[in-house]
Amino acid sequence: MASSCHNVEVPGKPTETGTALLETATGTIQGFAPLNQIHQHLCAFHFYADDMGRQVEAHHFCAHLNEDVRQCLIFDGPGAGARLIGVEYIVSEEVFLTLPDGEKPLWHTHEFEVKGGVLFMPGVPGVVERRDLEKVCKTYGKTIHFWQVDRGDALPLGLPQIMMALTREGQLRQDLADCVEKKFGVSFHKETENRAYMSGPEHGIHPLANAAGKGLRTEIREVDIPASTTAGAGRVFT
Amino acid sequence: MSSSDQNPAATPASGGPAEPAPPGRPTTVSSQVLDVGAQLVQALKPVRQMKQHACSFALYAYDLHRQMEVHHFVSRLNQDVLQCAVYDSDKPSARLIGTRRRRLFSAAPARRAVTKITVVMMAGVEYIVSDTIFEGLPPDEQRLWHSHAYEVKAGLWTDVGVPESLQSSEMASLAKTYSKFWCTWQVDRGDALPLGAPALMVSPHAAEPGRARGELVRGRDERYRIDSSAGGLKAARVEMDEPEWINPNADYWRLHRKGFAVDVVQAEMKRHAPFP
Repeated sequence: MASSCHNVEVPGKPTETGTALLETATGTIQGFAPLNQIHQHLCAFHFYADDMGRQVEAHHFCAHLNEDVRQCLIFDGPGAGARLIGVEYIVSEEVFLTLPDGEKPLWHTHEFEVKGGVLFMPGVPGVVERRDLEKVCKTYGKTIHFWQVDRGDALPLGLPQIMMALTREGQLRQDLADCVEKKFGVSFHKETENRAYMSGPEHGIHPLANAAGKGLRTEIREVDIPASTTAGAGRVFT
Repeated sequence: MSSSDQNPAATPASGGPAEPAPPGRPTTVSSQVLDVGAQLVQALKPVRQMKQHACSFALYAYDLHRQMEVHHFVSRLNQDVLQCAVYDSDKPSARLIGTRRRRLFSAAPARRAVTKITVVMMAGVEYIVSDTIFEGLPPDEQRLWHSHAYEVKAGLWTDVGVPESLQSSEMASLAKTYSKFWCTWQVDRGDALPLGAPALMVSPHAAEPGRARGELVRGRDERYRIDSSAGGLKAARVEMDEPEWINPNADYWRLHRKGFAVDVVQAEMKRHAPFP
């Protein structure tokens, strides 16, 4: 399958044969339960919570923790050489509503992306795909990216970035949409009709979600490291 | 708005019991069937590239006394760069937590066992680069990375279930690398969901406050039948080459006695269309 719509070349030497063989050998001995729980590949778009114009094709590889919570690894493409660029956690509306108010803005809704056809499961027939996406339509996600491939970073530089999802027409960049539609042989527009029956969160989109309609940025701060733990701190003077 | 070093507000999502589990219903049969259906047609190639499972310990860069056991599933991009999905354990477990009375007039036994299934939480992502690549990073970036030499030689970082003879050359290479690790779910603090800003993590070291806590290491060693004591892996790795030089910009806390916290703050979003 084709690689990413973003052009990034990771620096470094090609993997040596010996290294590759060793890793395959050791890999057969080990347990991989958390990865074996990953059962689903979803493609969608994210943009930076402080810059809607910077958009990223995001391939999610997701596992259910339970019926209401999923966790996904995000890669910049579907192939073996894809870069791990971030993570997303997806929760049902019921779970989202239990989050503290200070936390809710870091989460985004999926209703538009699903109903708009831009969130899809590559290779999965529409009839099957829709049975899961009708659930995803009602969920909220928290996405953090670590590797800014859209600006050509050859390595995961800088701070983690909170990402947002598309919430209405006119946001998705046409060049990115065209690239993805062509690569995967899908039509977002056609799929919208098939998904018209779906509905979003029962209580509507929470006003604090989607960065509360504003924007978000991450910053780093130096802190004093505590000298000792609160548990087990010895008393100097009794 | 949210900081990696701030305790979350009290809600069902925060400050739970020692073994947090995310709230929610057990995965339904229909979801499982959909998952199986998807798996049949989707290759999941990037995940299949994660061929190594290693276990170690990570410390929060804003408070080195906050430590956790971490499980890395490692994928190699090339000889110099690796990427890891990090989890809080490597397998779900079922633990008997009590019994529950059966209904009256049931043919089944009066009480049945209730088990708690713990799930494996995705704790974050770690990137590993060779010293050559690391030296090419700007100093401001290097501050966010940590070295591995002590962690590997002390037997804290190890491939799980692999004999030392098989993994020693890989470990020797790893001892010369540097990593950047972002934690997105502060499981050790009891968070039942991934709350707050992502947290920068650092590696354990010989000197306080960077030492990995004895009981954490012993617990891990017992469960995985690893011997990271002075007579075990430490002895096996004593001959391992140390890096000639560890870049002083890495492991920032060691020279500066300062850590890093991440804040998520409100900002103007550049936009070309209405939002949300």
